[in-house]
Amino acid sequence: MRELELYYGPQHLGMVGNFSITLGVEGDRIVKATSNPGFLHRGFEKLMEQRTWIQNFPLVCRINVVEPDHMELMYAMAVEKLAGIEVPERAQYIRSIYLELARVSSHLFGLWAYANMLGFDTVANWAMYHRDLVLDLFEELTGGRAYHIYIWPGGVRRDFPEGFKDKIVNTLHTIGSCVPDYDDTFFNNRVFEKRAKGIGKLTQKEAVEMGAVGQVLRATGMKRDIRKQEPYAAYDQVEFNVPTREDGDAYSRIWVVRDEMIESVHMIFKLLDQMPEGVAYNKVPNPFKWKIPKNEAYVRCESSRGELGLYLVSNDTDKPYRAHYRTPSFNHGLTILEKALVNESVSDVGNIMISLYITAPEIDR
Amino acid sequence: MDRNKIGKWLKSPGKMAQKYSLHALYFCTGCGIIEIPPTITARWDAERFGVIPVATPRQANLFLITGYVSLKTLKYIIRSYEQMPEPKFTVGFGSCPINGGMYWDSYNTIKHLDKYIPIDGWIAGCMPRPEAVFVAVTHLWTLIDKGKADGYKKYREDYELYRENQESVLGKLEWPPLFSKEKQHEASV
Amino acid sequence: MNHLRQILKDNLLSSFEDIKINIAEENRIIIECRKESIITVLSHLKSDGFNHLSLISCVDWINENTFELVYILTAYTEDPEKGGLNLLVKTKVVRDKPTLYTVINVFSNAEPFERELHELYGIHFSGHPRLTPLLLERSYEIPPFRKDFDTRQYVEDFFKQIPTIEEKKRTNERT
Repeated sequence: MRELELYYGPQHLGMVGNFSITLGVEGDRIVKATSNPGFLHRGFEKLMEQRTWIQNFPLVCRINVVEPDHMELMYAMAVEKLAGIEVPERAQYIRSIYLELARVSSHLFGLWAYANMLGFDTVANWAMYHRDLVLDLFEELTGGRAYHIYIWPGGVRRDFPEGFKDKIVNTLHTIGSCVPDYDDTFFNNRVFEKRAKGIGKLTQKEAVEMGAVGQVLRATGMKRDIRKQEPYAAYDQVEFNVPTREDGDAYSRIWVVRDEMIESVHMIFKLLDQMPEGVAYNKVPNPFKWKIPKNEAYVRCESSRGELGLYLVSNDTDKPYRAHYRTPSFNHGLTILEKALVNESVSDVGNIMISLYITAPEIDR
Repeated sequence: MDRNKIGKWLKSPGKMAQKYSLHALYFCTGCGIIEIPPTITARWDAERFGVIPVATPRQANLFLITGYVSLKTLKYIIRSYEQMPEPKFTVGFGSCPINGGMYWDSYNTIKHLDKYIPIDGWIAGCMPRPEAVFVAVTHLWTLIDKGKADGYKKYREDYELYRENQESVLGKLEWPPLFSKEKQHEASV
Repeated sequence: MNHLRQILKDNLLSSFEDIKINIAEENRIIIECRKESIITVLSHLKSDGFNHLSLISCVDWINENTFELVYILTAYTEDPEKGGLNLLVKTKVVRDKPTLYTVINVFSNAEPFERELHELYGIHFSGHPRLTPLLLERSYEIPPFRKDFDTRQYVEDFFKQIPTIEEKKRTNERT
């Protein structure tokens, strides 16, 4: 049979974010796949070298548009390490609650994308609606729906307003009471099982060799979570499980996403009970005249897609000298996707791509 | 139903059909991927305004450019725009297509999108709320009524100037020009 | 954690000469070596259990005329003590036509990192199967992430010179 070249390009109904794959196809079977990133490249790390330490905060949250909060956390933690600033305890608890809410909203976005791709429009609409309820909470706390510039070196920008704790509890109860509906309609559905079981399978050895992190690794059986290995914020004060599955295909990855969402909701309730009183931020030096001596720092955290890291270098000036983000979608989109697509059918390309949780702005930065 | 409007509708049923059924091309460039899905799903329903997403440019009427445009994306935007049948309208979302926005000193983003394809309206914000999209759609209705939403006509008249600008930023383009002087002369004769 | 770090340090100092180890913080160890011995140091650490290459990064020290390459390694393990360590392996290269050997034979996920560094800094990795452009649309005279590439000057020279359509029509009408 002849080999044809297909472009699964940036303008496509099943593409989430601008990303393009060139497929070599024989009939219905894929023989070769090459990914084409670069549609969203802005040269972030070069732009960060031309703005002062405080001016970088509105810029940093736009690296991954779906989940901006972990990017802010990385920059704030790195600057605190370079300059030696301490964070008060109440601020650590507030940061953990805020990050877990961000994880819930990001997983609901991923559920919208996946259900939309498979054709389950009802579940996609529910997931987007519940995500909008969580974004209402963010809007009351920080002032913006999409980009909240809330985590600051030295704590958070402002404390919780009055009555906010009850609002969080009510919203999470609304979402949590719909979980049996989600299970009946989507997760226990036989159609979903047939479309996702055995697709895009990775063994644990292959995943370790190709640099997989996050759900892609936890769906193959390894319990690796940075919140347990190198705890940051208030994660060492609260108990939680790390859900895993055994098979390593698209079905197990989506089930790991669902289990993580439920685990996050339980974690938020426990953190709200244990939160101490105190101040919400420590003062930073005058931002117009802030110089940091020559130093370097490497910090890591567990974002909703996997292990996120930042390497930051300072050189006794008022601007960063070099910043380099290590994003989880870089290896997933460029190394693993090209191998996982071989010998699959053309109609499963979107299925595999979204279940590997690839977000295009993270690859290009 | 407002009886004053019946006279207006009877005068131009074509315009009424165009206004209330804008099919938007599903192409989320840049940061728009977080604010377009809430606009088209259940909470802020865009279908009550007649706007639904479609898969291919051949069936689309409205082109929303949501967010910043890099050099690689500009090629695909031009190709998709040229494949859409006339009459077609474009709306620029966010502050980045207007004057570069937050990435004004980046080497890979386009600062003024108006130089490369014609734009009918702008929405300011970073990212604008879904309600801002609906206000923009109602403004577009008034423009269509008055006959001022004519970006596609300008593209047809000034095609060589647009193509010169596109080639000076992207290099030599691989596809032939869409409108040429001889064919336009034949069409009018 | 102390015990583990000390064992690692003694192990490395006894196996390699010309290597400097610095335990910077509780969970960060910096290892400096020459560019010829990068591959042996990385394979030694991989067989020791640190089998995840997180990042290959590059810092441009223009005053000293060198590029400093940083390879960051962590461990794929469920044990929290070993899993919390970050090893930074550093080496220096000359800034004029820099070349290095690729580490794909040791870590197969290093391929996109090296491709990106080749495009943005101009470093050549010999032995790499596919050093084609990854993110950029065109080629620039100076690779864009070097310190002597001024982005604001480039935007002035390139993007601002293109006139708008109304200006073009006005100049056409005048002539």
